[in-house]
Amino acid sequence: MSLIEVKNVYYAYNENSVAIDDVSFSLEEGTYTTVIGHNGSGKSTLAKMIAGLLEIQKGSITINGLAVNAENIARIRRDLGIVFQNPDNQFIGSTVRDDIAFGLENKLVAVENTERIIEEYAAKVGLSDHLDYEPQNLSGGQKQRVAIAGIMAMKPKIIIFDEATSMLDPKGKKEIKQLMYQLAEEEITVISITHDIEEVMQSDNCIVLNKGKLFMQDKPEKVFADAEKLRKINLDIPFVMQVKEVFRNKKIKLKANDLKGMAEELWRLNSKR
Amino acid sequence: MAIKFKALSYIYNKDMPYAHKALDHIDLEITEGVITAIIGETGSGKSTLVEHLNALLLPSEGSLEILDYELAADKKVRFLKPLRKDVGLVFQFSEYQLFEETILKDVTFGPLNFGYSPEEATQRAKDALALLNIPEELYEKSPLEISGGQKRRVAIAGIIACDPKIIVLDEPTAGLDPKGAKQLIELFIDMNRTLHKTVILVTHDNEMVYNYADETVLLHQGKVVYHGPTLKLFNDKKMTEEYRLLEPQIVTFRNLLIEKGFKLTDEARTLDKLAEEIRKQLK
Amino acid sequence: MNNLVFGKYIPIDSFMHRLDPRAKLIGLFVMIFAIFLPKSWWAFLAIGVLVLLALISAKIGIRMIVQSFKPMIMMMIFLLVINALTVKTGDILFTYGTFALYSDALYNTLFVIVRLLLMISLTTLLTATTKPLDLTLAIEWLLKPLEIVKFPTYEVALMVSIALRFIPTIIEETIRIMNAQKSRGVDFENGNLSSKISSILSLIVPLFSVAFERAYELADAMEARGYVPGAERTRYHILRFHLRDFFYIFICIAALAFSIFTRIYL
Repeated sequence: MSLIEVKNVYYAYNENSVAIDDVSFSLEEGTYTTVIGHNGSGKSTLAKMIAGLLEIQKGSITINGLAVNAENIARIRRDLGIVFQNPDNQFIGSTVRDDIAFGLENKLVAVENTERIIEEYAAKVGLSDHLDYEPQNLSGGQKQRVAIAGIMAMKPKIIIFDEATSMLDPKGKKEIKQLMYQLAEEEITVISITHDIEEVMQSDNCIVLNKGKLFMQDKPEKVFADAEKLRKINLDIPFVMQVKEVFRNKKIKLKANDLKGMAEELWRLNSKR
Repeated sequence: MAIKFKALSYIYNKDMPYAHKALDHIDLEITEGVITAIIGETGSGKSTLVEHLNALLLPSEGSLEILDYELAADKKVRFLKPLRKDVGLVFQFSEYQLFEETILKDVTFGPLNFGYSPEEATQRAKDALALLNIPEELYEKSPLEISGGQKRRVAIAGIIACDPKIIVLDEPTAGLDPKGAKQLIELFIDMNRTLHKTVILVTHDNEMVYNYADETVLLHQGKVVYHGPTLKLFNDKKMTEEYRLLEPQIVTFRNLLIEKGFKLTDEARTLDKLAEEIRKQLK
Repeated sequence: MNNLVFGKYIPIDSFMHRLDPRAKLIGLFVMIFAIFLPKSWWAFLAIGVLVLLALISAKIGIRMIVQSFKPMIMMMIFLLVINALTVKTGDILFTYGTFALYSDALYNTLFVIVRLLLMISLTTLLTATTKPLDLTLAIEWLLKPLEIVKFPTYEVALMVSIALRFIPTIIEETIRIMNAQKSRGVDFENGNLSSKISSILSLIVPLFSVAFERAYELADAMEARGYVPGAERTRYHILRFHLRDFFYIFICIAALAFSIFTRIYL
């Protein structure tokens, strides 16, 4: 059985706005999944349903064999963390130290261990020197790193990133993405809702949502293979695919899957001539 | 010249122990009628610079000429309203400035403040909303009821309706999906080309800068370290490396091709033109 | 707005900073009595010396106290005028036409000024040396007895500490929205009543809608990190009394005793 099983779930905010409509998929333990779709496609709603923050109106979600519902939610939350989009609105403590402690206090971690755990996870996200900083003295990227440390300290099996990099500057985006890749290597199951094509290409598995429905679920290369199909639902395609497409239209077929390879391929064509 | 900075400095918390010089002797002339991007890392002074354009901040030292107005250190500003009418500032996440009961009322708010008659203000608002593709049936709806992308466009219509000569955009596409972002930015390009508005684009998105900005200003620690054609900046390896500029992907590809031995002109700015030049060489 | 001195925590290390916040809070309450009871200048002198010592040990410059006193000056002048016009006891100091200034008018005003000055020094001393979070913990501790009548002291304390944490964020937000509206031609300083109302609305409405959005997202974030209102939690912050805290409270009580003494015997 898969770690996460989503079966025929449905969610509507009201009669006129169905956010998620009959979506099913399953995710294996230790995989890195990206979820893409235009704004309003239901990505965030789906994330909140998995995290038990929105009630599942129809269908079911199971995590590690446990159904996500009011009864099991406390148990499930021990295995699942979520990083939200706005760095300010998830900073609960008054300092970095207090914010990492918040989840540990909820988890009833013995006080004598708290300090050591806080220091361990602050080090993991590179904020050992910032433990006593207040949120207003941290950059957006640093605040997101604190959120990640706070969640990692609770040792979850699954971490959901709900557009966690979208409000950050390029430097912050890069820092957070690196942390996410690192988490995936540590066998944590990562689900990331994103617009970042580069990140999608790094993931094991990609889910495409369109107007609340599951449009596709496959390996990223496969998902991006049909550019026209994605353009129709307002999604961007990776630059590499754009290059291929433009050259194909000029009757030049490229096989390589990276820019360097394509440059070499073109040069070989040039030398052959 | 649309805008001219003369040895302008701005110091936060002047005369305090934690004073911070955000802008340091800026000498800069922004060309009228073109699209100028202002780029630089967080904290390089972009926002401080932009806030001067609407006299939200006044120079600590030096002066600033905008159209027919002049702002200088320790000089009282007598023309706040006309200046703010002529320079439209679209802030980051501008949807948070919506507050009226209906969308139409909200867009009328600016023109009314700047002294247009109610009829004229309403007409301007309707024109601006149409320009931003807000359907008429939404005019009487509350701005809180529409989608995020629509909110952003309504907020921008609220600025456009004031008929500014200069439009300043701070991260206008942040948080929009790729298609929404592209539509919005192309609208401003169009306003530049057809209505000859001076557009200033403040952003971290170098792909957007490369694709659309005629000129680019690079700020670094409160100083202007580059001002000139956008292409020249991104094609200059020394500059992109020294200031750790995120290279637009097309530039990366272009550089790889040139390294291999292809000859590419400066015209090869878009993927299509670049492929065309390569194709000709392959023939 | 960043220039507000009153109530601002100064992040340095000092004797006063190291004191337990509960000791400082109890000390403050005791000292308030000590300030308001006496009618003798001796008591004020003694308390003044103590306050000065505390300020020195907290490494707080007198300039900061003067700064926090500045907003009170108008009130002081007003008070002096009222006293001069109403108090008609004591010696006549000087006359101007039908108006006569009595010595008690000056005395009374001076008393109030000294009391206020001491009060402000003491509260500044507390807020400048105590992190807001520690202060909430101390208040929570003082409210503990109310739990008998089912008062949710812990939840209230958590609420207050989150509110404190968001103050700088909301100030930043306010400036941002004000700037955005100024760019749309709003004049927050001038204008007639109806334009004043609309400028205030243009600030308040967005501020509230953002605050609600923040509140919802924060609630989600708290829930996702396993917070259940009313459920048992361990406490990372634990306050511990040290010898110095008892010493501090003792001095405050001694000051109170002295001021009671002066009230009865002097």
